[in-house]
Amino acid sequence: MAEATITDSAHGKGGEHHHSTKSYFVVWAILLTCTGLTVWTGYKDLGAWNLPLALSIATVKASLVVWYFMHMREAAGTNRIVFVTSFVFLLVMIFGVFGDLWTRSEMSLPYHTPTTEGPEIQVPEGAAAPAHHE
Amino acid sequence: MSSSDGHPSHTAHHHPNLAGHFDTIQQQDYAARLGMWLFLGTEVLLFAGLFLGYTVYRHFYHETFHHCSRALDIKLGTINTLVLITSSLSVALAYWCVKVGKRTWAIGALVFTILCAAGFLCIKYLEYSHKFHVGELPGKWFRAEELMQFPAANMYFTIYFLTTGLHAFHVIVGMSVLIWVMKGIIKGRYNPDYYVPVELGALYWHLVDLVWIFLFPLLYLI
Repeated sequence: MAEATITDSAHGKGGEHHHSTKSYFVVWAILLTCTGLTVWTGYKDLGAWNLPLALSIATVKASLVVWYFMHMREAAGTNRIVFVTSFVFLLVMIFGVFGDLWTRSEMSLPYHTPTTEGPEIQVPEGAAAPAHHE
Repeated sequence: MSSSDGHPSHTAHHHPNLAGHFDTIQQQDYAARLGMWLFLGTEVLLFAGLFLGYTVYRHFYHETFHHCSRALDIKLGTINTLVLITSSLSVALAYWCVKVGKRTWAIGALVFTILCAAGFLCIKYLEYSHKFHVGELPGKWFRAEELMQFPAANMYFTIYFLTTGLHAFHVIVGMSVLIWVMKGIIKGRYNPDYYVPVELGALYWHLVDLVWIFLFPLLYLI
């Protein structure tokens, strides 16, 4: 078992080869490091870079989980296509909506100050309080 | 003629776990794996809707989301991230152990994974009960005085509870799946010749980890 590493055993049909558990522990250590990194950068104020950086680290972590822990590297081509396609549609959806958000004019934005009360009712001068109808 | 007309393996290598509607165990495994990956794809799209809601509200209320995320406990969030990543490792090890026939180790790794899942839920409970206590709640239940000054602060907590709530539900389902898998291993149903159910159960658990990998920075660290 000990001679197999991450790089060999790249092709197989899931079951014919028993690579060692070493690659799992290596991936785990990288995931822990990435978590530490993203928390550390989360405390810092990097302005506009905070979000892209956090998402990049998350994408690296997710890729490692999919590729090694979920054995995507050994999965049949069909399964790869099926799973990756769902991410393609996720991106289509998010960027499609971004196209809308970025091109809106100010006026069509929703109100920035939510109120818990309704609009003030203008009562004409001298009029009595609005009567309640059934 | 009768030897080559479409039933090649009935007598030759009949596998005890082969269902009647499959010709070979390879075909059955292929179908099971494809079905699982398809299901995981739909799970990604299920969470995609919530991530989209997050994207839109964060775009409109950028400052609010920044200040509200400070109300979350980064320490607890980080611990939970480490717990899930470690459980992902242990379930991968459990799968490997079944594959090479180390049954006792597989059961141990699964017990550890299930304990991690329970630990995750306990920490989540601590976080939720604090939120309920201080009124950092979704929609009309929001009553946290110090965050009232930020517009749409309740929307942040609506999204927080919807995403983490759906995720916590997946943790519970994943735990149940792993308990079921573990029962199968204890009963000796899975072995180096037949381990696909273990593989699929582990895949589901990895997806739970996968979703959290994105939820954690987006909710806690912005």
